[in-house]
Amino acid sequence: MVPKDLLRLTNLADAAERPDIVVATGASPAAITKAAIDALGGIKSFVSRGDIVVVKPNMAWDRLPEQAANTNPEVVATVVRLCLEAGAKKVKVFDRSVNDPRRCYVQSGIPKAVSPLGADLFYMDDRKFKEKQIKGNALKSWPLYTEVFEADKVINVPIAKHHGLAKLTMSMKNWMGVMGGSRNQIHQKIDESLADLCLVIKPTLTILDAVRVLVANGPQGGNLADVRKLDTVVAGIDQVAIDSFGATLFGMKGSDLGYVRAADHMGIGRMDLSQVRIRKIKI
Amino acid sequence: MQNFRRITQGLFLVLFLFLFIQTESKGVDELGYPVKVFLDFDPLIFLTTLFSAHSVAKTFLLSIAVILMTVIFGRVFCGWVCPLGTINNMVGALRRKRGRPEQLPWYRLKYYILICLLASSLFGMQLAGVMDPLSLLIRSFSLSLFPTVNYGVRSLFDAIYNLNPPYLVTASELIYSFLKKSILSFQQPFYLQSAFVGGLFLLILGLNFKETRFWCRYLCPLGALLGLLSRSSILRRSVSEGCTSCGACASACQGNADPDKQEGWKDSECLYCWNCDDICPHNAVSFGFSGKKATAGMDLGRRRVINSMLLGAISVPLIRTTPLSKTGYSDPSLIRPPGSLEEGEFLRRCVKCGECMKVCITNGLQPALLEAGIEGIWSPMLVPRIGYCEYRCTLCGQVCPTGAIKRLNLEEKNKMKIGLAMIDKGRCLPWAHATPCIMCEEVCPTPKKAIWFEQARVRDRDGNEVAVAQPRVDTRLCIGCGICETKCPVVGRPAIYVSSVGESRSRSNQLLLS
Repeated sequence: MVPKDLLRLTNLADAAERPDIVVATGASPAAITKAAIDALGGIKSFVSRGDIVVVKPNMAWDRLPEQAANTNPEVVATVVRLCLEAGAKKVKVFDRSVNDPRRCYVQSGIPKAVSPLGADLFYMDDRKFKEKQIKGNALKSWPLYTEVFEADKVINVPIAKHHGLAKLTMSMKNWMGVMGGSRNQIHQKIDESLADLCLVIKPTLTILDAVRVLVANGPQGGNLADVRKLDTVVAGIDQVAIDSFGATLFGMKGSDLGYVRAADHMGIGRMDLSQVRIRKIKI
Repeated sequence: MQNFRRITQGLFLVLFLFLFIQTESKGVDELGYPVKVFLDFDPLIFLTTLFSAHSVAKTFLLSIAVILMTVIFGRVFCGWVCPLGTINNMVGALRRKRGRPEQLPWYRLKYYILICLLASSLFGMQLAGVMDPLSLLIRSFSLSLFPTVNYGVRSLFDAIYNLNPPYLVTASELIYSFLKKSILSFQQPFYLQSAFVGGLFLLILGLNFKETRFWCRYLCPLGALLGLLSRSSILRRSVSEGCTSCGACASACQGNADPDKQEGWKDSECLYCWNCDDICPHNAVSFGFSGKKATAGMDLGRRRVINSMLLGAISVPLIRTTPLSKTGYSDPSLIRPPGSLEEGEFLRRCVKCGECMKVCITNGLQPALLEAGIEGIWSPMLVPRIGYCEYRCTLCGQVCPTGAIKRLNLEEKNKMKIGLAMIDKGRCLPWAHATPCIMCEEVCPTPKKAIWFEQARVRDRDGNEVAVAQPRVDTRLCIGCGICETKCPVVGRPAIYVSSVGESRSRSNQLLLS
């Protein structure tokens, strides 16, 4: 973390104007993703030469990109490409899917988009889930995927969509994809559990894909009538603020989401958007 | 010639194993290879399905090639092609040779088995798959041998990984990842009756220690069928005057063809392995084309043939006289794969080859034991606690050789009901325990979810009000895929479960008036 702080000190004047979150809108998912990261200071302020980077999309469902259940492949590919251009030694891409992993990966379109770029896309290895101390309110410890903690940088690339229990699933809930064990039990205390996860998983950067969003029958959808095209990505470091902003895309407020309230209460991030510098760009 | 034959056998075995390993999803809904092609060439399945179902998949026209080949050249399929025969050969080679083997006088047994199977199929019961060598081989590999190999290899590499010896683990992980990409399955398969099916197969292999190709000589109904067809073959064996009756050929014979008996050579038992030609010290044996008939008769015995036919015919009512025939409702846990024909039609076609269970992406298709009656043994059924039916997958219908499972397009598949989920309110967390849960609704794959919530406020023991969403099943939308049961967090007996009621293929197994 020291080099990043140093970098921040040297660019203090610049950093003062830097937004906390960037909301980029435009027809090209690749262009808005790049623009959003650039507005945050560029990929080089997050990824250094030689870094091992984990890029965590949502590839949990056996659905096609236009069905908006998995992260947009172009958004993921742009993040991967920028990391590699910044000199990352390795960019790892994976998710613990809900449907069969082979189908989820292939049907999401993400392998086809990122593998040619040189990303290391693989199926998760059961042996690499290790019990991790969390000491949260709901989760004391849980088997989590070790590669997330071994990486130099972690970039969260979730998709924004409807969810029957959590109301919406965005950045924080995307970390269910690195949980081992019987993770379906956390639904019993979903809000506290998701906030607890963020005590130990601290991404370097989060890019929320809202190019297409599911407004009903989430999180896997399947009916194109439930998909809205927003052509938007939201990027930043504070995933609580991002999820709080994300709620507004669905006509809700951050405070409508239990896990955002819980995380705000625990000091993990900021729910109150009036305290957050938001820059909106159109391309 | 012997080496030429061995190479041919090896190539067919490798092809068989390659296609077997390719019988696995790679994430798309096509396999890319004709994985069931060995079964398409099987004349025994062709004939028995034709008899029992009065119709047969077009692909079985390929088996006419084997029929023609046998009519012209004799049982070359057994000696040169059949992968089970080759495996029997290989195991037999491990046997310590002690002079001339004692040949049992049972070679006729396989003909009686064949007649029995043909007779029962004429009366509408398809039992051939139990003993058809290709079905048996694919079934044994799918349900038992392949899972066993996977388990062993995975355990070995996991043990090295956990011990973590320096350097060695890097090498072992490299080998492991190569094996995972090439021959191992994507995930460890598990099957009910694995040990049973595997044990029967080991027994067949073990019989080779009694006599090489014991199965082919005495038991194989396909061998028997080809034996009957080979009676008119024009590829014949002849023995010149150089023969000294030394008997070398008799001990090398892979069938029970009595090659030392010159005029008494049994063409129907000859596998055309060419061993007698190769081994003859006087070079007196040769194979060539001729129309001349100089062979022993079959001599199956009229009474025994009639008895076998009767046994086959009687087995039909014997096996079918069960309460199932009265109620018309099969075991509610008998959830057939999507696209399965109506149960009677299904059973008349299914040959229990295990292709569908091998290809099933979630491992949910499992072999039945008695859920479908004795005639349904090893036929496929979905066991949702083990794995569910993947909404956008149609692979089982693609690999079924006989059309017992129809090939569906995605649109048809998505509408096909294989059962119906019901909720056990006594176990469900929101219903019985004032605890939120959502799993069944979250994973329900229909575009408009078949599971919906009724918001309720319930009280816990301390009198606190808890808001829970209580799941309900929309009987019109549920297709019975079973993902809710697979993923239900209530471990052990699930709080939501699927049974076969409501399945599209049945007129009577319905819950609602329609």
